[in-house]
Amino acid sequence: MAKIELQNIAHSYNPQAADKAYALNPFNMTWVDGGRYAILGPSGCGKTTMLNIMSGIVQPSEGKLLFNDVDVTKLSTSERNIAQVFQFPVIYGTMSVEQNLAFPLVCRNFEKAVIVAKVQEVAGALSLEGLLKKSASKLTADQKQLISLGRGLVRDDVAAVLMDEPLTVIDPDLKFRLRRQLKEINQKYRSTLIYVTHDQNEAMTFAENIIVMDAGSIVQVGSPSELFERPKTTFVGYFIGAPAMNFFECKLEGSHNVSFGGASIITETDLSKTGEATLKLGIRSEYIRIVETAGINTIKAQVQRVEDLGTHKLVSAIFDNQNVKIKVKRDQEVPLDSVSLEFPARHCCVYEKEQLI
Amino acid sequence: MGLLYTCLKYLVVSLWSIFVIAPFLWAISTSFKDFQSVTNGATYIPWVDFEPTLEGWRALWKSPAKGGVDIVEPFFNSIFVTCAGSLISILLGTLAAYALSRFTFKAGFIRNSDITFFFISQRIMPPVVLAIPFFIMLGKFALLDTLLGLIVVYIVLLMPIAVWIMVDFFNKVPREIDETALIDGCNPYQAFYKVVLPNSIPGIIVAGMFCLIFGWTDFFFSFILTFTEVQLLPVAIVALNSSITPWWSLSAAALVSVAPLIAVAFVVERYLSKGNLSGALK
Repeated sequence: MAKIELQNIAHSYNPQAADKAYALNPFNMTWVDGGRYAILGPSGCGKTTMLNIMSGIVQPSEGKLLFNDVDVTKLSTSERNIAQVFQFPVIYGTMSVEQNLAFPLVCRNFEKAVIVAKVQEVAGALSLEGLLKKSASKLTADQKQLISLGRGLVRDDVAAVLMDEPLTVIDPDLKFRLRRQLKEINQKYRSTLIYVTHDQNEAMTFAENIIVMDAGSIVQVGSPSELFERPKTTFVGYFIGAPAMNFFECKLEGSHNVSFGGASIITETDLSKTGEATLKLGIRSEYIRIVETAGINTIKAQVQRVEDLGTHKLVSAIFDNQNVKIKVKRDQEVPLDSVSLEFPARHCCVYEKEQLI
Repeated sequence: MGLLYTCLKYLVVSLWSIFVIAPFLWAISTSFKDFQSVTNGATYIPWVDFEPTLEGWRALWKSPAKGGVDIVEPFFNSIFVTCAGSLISILLGTLAAYALSRFTFKAGFIRNSDITFFFISQRIMPPVVLAIPFFIMLGKFALLDTLLGLIVVYIVLLMPIAVWIMVDFFNKVPREIDETALIDGCNPYQAFYKVVLPNSIPGIIVAGMFCLIFGWTDFFFSFILTFTEVQLLPVAIVALNSSITPWWSLSAAALVSVAPLIAVAFVVERYLSKGNLSGALK
């Protein structure tokens, strides 16, 4: 287990080219020992490259990688003592399940008694006890992925366990159970877990800290609630939450006020130093309230449709040619024509050039 | 429509089976004939059309001094040269193919695909182009008319096949297998022989089968590069042909020469039917 620091790390898959085209732009990052992290971002944003740099599969074009303040940038993968689980199951098809689980320990010359005990423990945690003597190639895709996971968890001296969308091929029911087990394993062994995903629900339920990435850069690092409540950029607002955050083109009106479509909205953000006249107002659909009478911080929108999503209703409305989505309780009555919507000031975020003020 | 299709299907399969099996039946039948049975018109069924005899078979291991043709030594020479050539080709070819599949080589304009093509290009040239250089080189190293010389030539001829098949096979093996082995604590060599190699046995078997077939059936080089000391089976069989062709011994020798390949085909077919040659990894 180790504190992992990435210092000015950057990577280009074609570093000799005049236009380097970074897959990962230069950045600094510290992963606290024993932390549970999720790297979240759309496909091709550099998540897997970052993971491969940490495990040593990819040598970064620039920067240094430190494990407990020791420079490991030039060390080989096996010397870094990292565990990594890939998106698709990687099993050693000619070995039994037991041999697969024991392989990382056998390679590192652990004592036989330790290997047997550890394999039993991990097999128990992943419900693989009954399959230990079976050939790994004969198992189903999700059982194979459990073996991949097991090989990642069998060593408890690893610097970190890196997981690259490991639950993609797992059934939803088992996925939920495994996420919980991974959390428990992290709490038990305090091993650093870094989990790459593009599924925000997975990231939000699993991690203590989430790193949101876009186009090779880290956009925001924070707890699930920070990302939800105060997205640092409009990209994070769109990417986190279902539905995405509502954004409205608006004009600066006062030190805390913005206006759009004739409505004035008071926020808790100090806008006195803002240079831009055109801003964006962001608010989560969960925080917009349907009120009976128009008052302060309200707009009058036209309801387009109401969808019953089982646990709640999703109201789609339009105001000043801009769409508004509102999440309401299932039993709440929603007028089907015009509706007054209140924007609570403490939940309003204001963005200048797509960045949170 | 369904019935017609089934009938047509069986008809085509039956015709093809006859086409494949008939020469074997002809050779088996002829191998039990003597001079009279062969020359007195067409006969097919033993004991009905002609009286079977083992003369043709006996001649195969009688020395020429006793009127035989003695293909025992050429048979074992062929087995030795083909197996040794195939084994070394597979060993070297698998290593070369793994390197070409996993590492990037650059030398001027030459890249991995060019190196792979260079290997395969050895098989594009007509054998006669290679015959004179082989003859001169083996002569210089005193390897003409020796088993070792033939093995060296067969390695040159068979390794491209091994490289070609194995590069394609390794390219289909996910790199994550190697990467996982490295993460689990192997160095690159251990990752190859502990993880990648055991998973590549199906590919090695296919490559080995092709090497054995091409090695075993080669006539041209064994004919050009040997004289009196060493003889391989195809050359020995052709040598049977004299002014009066001994069809009975020739048929028996042909059956003996094809028997090892049939045995290999049966072993590999059983392996193929288990589905072990595909999807071994995921």
